[in-house]
Amino acid sequence: MTRGTTALYKPEDVISLIAVEEERVVVEERAEVRQITRGSLLLTETIHCSGLVWCQSQMRGGQPLVEVVRLGLVSYQEALRLQQVYVNRHRSSPAHALLLCEHPPVYTTGIRHKPYPEPLLDRLRLLGANVHRANRGGLITFHGPGQLVCYPVLNLCSFKKSVRWYVDQLEQTVIALCSRFAIQATTSPHTGVWVGDNKICAIGIHCGRYITSHGLALNCCTDLSWFDHIVPCGIEGKGVTSLSAELRRHASVEEVVPHLLHAFTQQFNCQLTEAA
Amino acid sequence: MAACWLLRSLSSNFSTVLPLLARSASLSPLQLASKPYFGRTLASSSRLSAALKFTDKHEWIRVEDGIGTVGISSFAQEALGDVVYCGLPEVGTQLAQQDEFGALESVKAASELYSPLTGEVVEVNTLLADNPGLVNKSCYKDGKYTHKRHSAVRGGYSDICMRHFRLMQELKQN
Repeated sequence: MTRGTTALYKPEDVISLIAVEEERVVVEERAEVRQITRGSLLLTETIHCSGLVWCQSQMRGGQPLVEVVRLGLVSYQEALRLQQVYVNRHRSSPAHALLLCEHPPVYTTGIRHKPYPEPLLDRLRLLGANVHRANRGGLITFHGPGQLVCYPVLNLCSFKKSVRWYVDQLEQTVIALCSRFAIQATTSPHTGVWVGDNKICAIGIHCGRYITSHGLALNCCTDLSWFDHIVPCGIEGKGVTSLSAELRRHASVEEVVPHLLHAFTQQFNCQLTEAA
Repeated sequence: MAACWLLRSLSSNFSTVLPLLARSASLSPLQLASKPYFGRTLASSSRLSAALKFTDKHEWIRVEDGIGTVGISSFAQEALGDVVYCGLPEVGTQLAQQDEFGALESVKAASELYSPLTGEVVEVNTLLADNPGLVNKSCYKDGKYTHKRHSAVRGGYSDICMRHFRLMQELKQN
């Protein structure tokens, strides 16, 4: 279907539009195709059909706007509280945000917390780290200085309403970022981003009513020995790595942030804005 | 045409239900006609489609004798990916419509489950604790998650919603 066409369509033509737009399709009587575009430049038009199925597509226009929020070094609990503030903002209308921060040493577990009883968590506390249970997916992981933690608080209604798609996009964003440093990173059956058998970026998210929270943790110059005390993400036989370890030079969080933001806008097809 | 009129009145019910489902008011109701086309779709799945009603969040409900059985649709399980964990409420928990009552985990993502019904949980599918993958493999039978004694189903979920999602599934398979 091209711009400006006026035509009568048979059911199968309309069906292909439904398949693209999914829930944004409304079926209504007697519509005629006037003007349709794909992707982010979309117009609302009524579609007429002489045949049996007809629909009207209702679509948004433009790229979603995402606000970048730089939190600096904040405790895990404080970051959770701030994420909730941004999650609640979505109640009135989409207000996407990308929170960037670093945490003091903390081990966190996800909703599958049975493999981690209190005695195990107490042993981790003795190492000088905080320990926290979170409502995200994924198993145990570590956050600490030198690790870029990114929490996108997005409303997937403005993107694509699939958690699987969203996680995939996060992985691809990090892979693109790594390639900007000439590091070949990949995905695997285990969610996360890998360089060979070593994980460079952990991912664990939460999604409620299509609002995302939690996110990803990319090792820039993290002290990787913190990971020796756990089986990261519950995966035996695999290691961890960082950008600094792969590049054999120091790569700070500050150096990496602009690359992550660029990769994010490309992958999610969005625009970024920063608060004054 | 009689079919169109019938569907129009059903869709007006649906639009009053929609605000209760906590979605944006701009979501338009679905109105389907085209009996011959949907006749073909429904005939192939009439046994299943006669029993289930769907919400706009891709949960299905079957209500029999005051007991509602809840699960997620094929569309939803595919959008989630392989389910590795299913957290469900205790028997006896009182839930209102839209209450958060559990979570599924897939691809390192914890997705919350919201109750489409008001009522008391009378039975939970314990198979899912050991075998959460049933939500993917058998989302309408073994992967169903709870039974609830429902005390109120406001407005009712229109069969139109169900037909819309059956259409989605047919299309995804084609």
